[in-house]
Amino acid sequence: MSFRKSLLALPAALAVAGVAYASSGMLPEDALDLQIKKTNSSSYLIQSPQNLMMMPDNPAWLVAEAGEVLFKQARGPKNASLEQCDFGKGPGVLEGAHAELPRYFADTGKVMDLDTRLVYCMKTLQGFTNDDPAIKQKHGSKSDMMKLQTYIGSKSSGMPWNPPMNHPLEKAMRDAGEVMFYRRSATMDFSCATCHTQTGKRIRASVLPSVYDPADWTKAISWPSHRTSHEEVRSSQHRVLECLWQMRYPNIKNGSDASIAMISFWTDAGRGEPVIVPDLKR
Amino acid sequence: MFKKSPIAALAAASLLLIAGGCSATNAGKSEAAKPAAVAAAPVVAAPVAAPAAAAKVDYTKMSAKDLAEYLIFEAEGYDLKQATQEGTNGRARLVQDEIQKACSLMKGQELDDKSREKVMALATASIKYPEGGIKLGDWKKGRELAWSGYGYRTAHNPDDHEKGTPGGNCYNCHQIATDRTGGDIGPSLTGYGKNRGAGEDMLKYTYDVIYNPHAYFACTNMPRMGASGVLSQKQIADVMAYLFDPESPVNK
Ligand code: HEC
Ligand code: HEC
Repeated sequence: MSFRKSLLALPAALAVAGVAYASSGMLPEDALDLQIKKTNSSSYLIQSPQNLMMMPDNPAWLVAEAGEVLFKQARGPKNASLEQCDFGKGPGVLEGAHAELPRYFADTGKVMDLDTRLVYCMKTLQGFTNDDPAIKQKHGSKSDMMKLQTYIGSKSSGMPWNPPMNHPLEKAMRDAGEVMFYRRSATMDFSCATCHTQTGKRIRASVLPSVYDPADWTKAISWPSHRTSHEEVRSSQHRVLECLWQMRYPNIKNGSDASIAMISFWTDAGRGEPVIVPDLKR
Repeated sequence: MFKKSPIAALAAASLLLIAGGCSATNAGKSEAAKPAAVAAAPVVAAPVAAPAAAAKVDYTKMSAKDLAEYLIFEAEGYDLKQATQEGTNGRARLVQDEIQKACSLMKGQELDDKSREKVMALATASIKYPEGGIKLGDWKKGRELAWSGYGYRTAHNPDDHEKGTPGGNCYNCHQIATDRTGGDIGPSLTGYGKNRGAGEDMLKYTYDVIYNPHAYFACTNMPRMGASGVLSQKQIADVMAYLFDPESPVNK
């Protein structure tokens, strides 16, 4: 796929040579290959041979491609593109931006993840409102949100997760997310830790990633990903929602501080390991 | 950067936009207690007003635990009003009972002896037994229940208990019979009755574990299927038949 090639200049040869996480990026399948080698083929990483094989033909690339078009198009009441959006590394800089989210933004005084930052730019730069489908429709490969997130996310592939912890709010959100991760409640007494703190354990046939194995965990938190069981590209926010549903928790608000705290903690737990976006998941 | 102030002081000033120039030194509680209004000074130009939620309280002044509670219950994170199948609401699901509190152990934290005793005592006290004693029910019904993960899910896709009976989720965590693949968060239960026999003690132990496993395993990952009301006494008897009945695939 031409888009993939143009997106990532670095040839696969580099990855094969064992150069770890070049700052200029790596195709997701190469980043994943490195993790598989590094973990001696962990059962979580290799649980779906079909998905591993399909990585180069990940349907998410088409979604990313559509996202690039949307990103550069003048849209919304203000007839502007998103090219001036600052995802934390300066206006218009996408390379490595997702690897450093969530982060604190002085213009809002908030810690924001990819989802919330994108919405912010669509409002401020393009003039969209919460009721516009461009913002309202959060899920599914056909949504603008998923197209844009997949495009932006892919620009960090192969780069190490490195969410900044310099601002006190970044630390506060991460730490609150950690507490939430271990906090048990609802009908089944589940916390995230119930299922995600032991290596190689399974729920039914699914191998669970452990938050204590960063080399595995990076795949777990690498979103957007195409989910083969849904035939849709999904976001981090959607994964939070799905696990909370299993846990019998009430609905969480997309982009709420509670969701961002959780994502801040989980991203910090993958620190230093390469982003694998777009990934393929079950 | 908005002003650092405690929640109490800010509640009064919550409508004010609190912005730059007042980067409070952390020194002095009295300083922090002043209403944030004094911070009128230079406001950092922002394309849009800082969201009210961010301005209301200073997250950086709260402990991680307090902030987590705040984000869950005060910051419009969860749908606290969402209806639940048991007729309560989202908030009730999120409020922790004593066992959940004691068992929310973070990395490196261990249950101390006093808490262990308390958890086990609470669990033991919660268990209610059927009149006429513990008897085995219908293993076929028990099989259905053991292999069902339906029920009590809410979030974006609530389960409808009129359409499906809530199950026990056992298969998610246990290998049970060999005819289907179960999880391994808990130990394998394959051959359970055959290996252990169906003596009175064994029946009581198993009933207790299904009803409230914290009576034996304080802070276990296994849910309290009886105490939480997911399985009735009769349904527990059916699940137990699935584990103990010589005809059940578990013991074949
Ligand atoms: C009852 C068990 C359970 C609990 C509790 C749970 N999860 Fe999960 N989680 C799963 C399962 C099962 C998967 C899917 C794994 C698969 O399909 O390989 C999953 C997947 C994930 C993934 C993506 C990994 C992947 O390969 O798809 C992340 C990240 C995650 N969970 C985070 C969380 C967080 C955060 C919480 C707490 C809010 C949580 N989980 C609670 C069972 C659980
Ligand atoms: C979320 C995972 C989970 C679910 C769901 C679950 N269990 Fe368990 N179960 C465990 C764990 C973990 C243990 C081990 C206890 C411990 O050491 O914490 C256990 C222990 C047991 C034991 C005692 C085993 C022994 O060797 O003495 C029995 C019996 C049992 N479970 C039955 C069930 C049944 C029946 C169900 C469904 C109604 C069920 N479990 C659902 C996790 C689970």
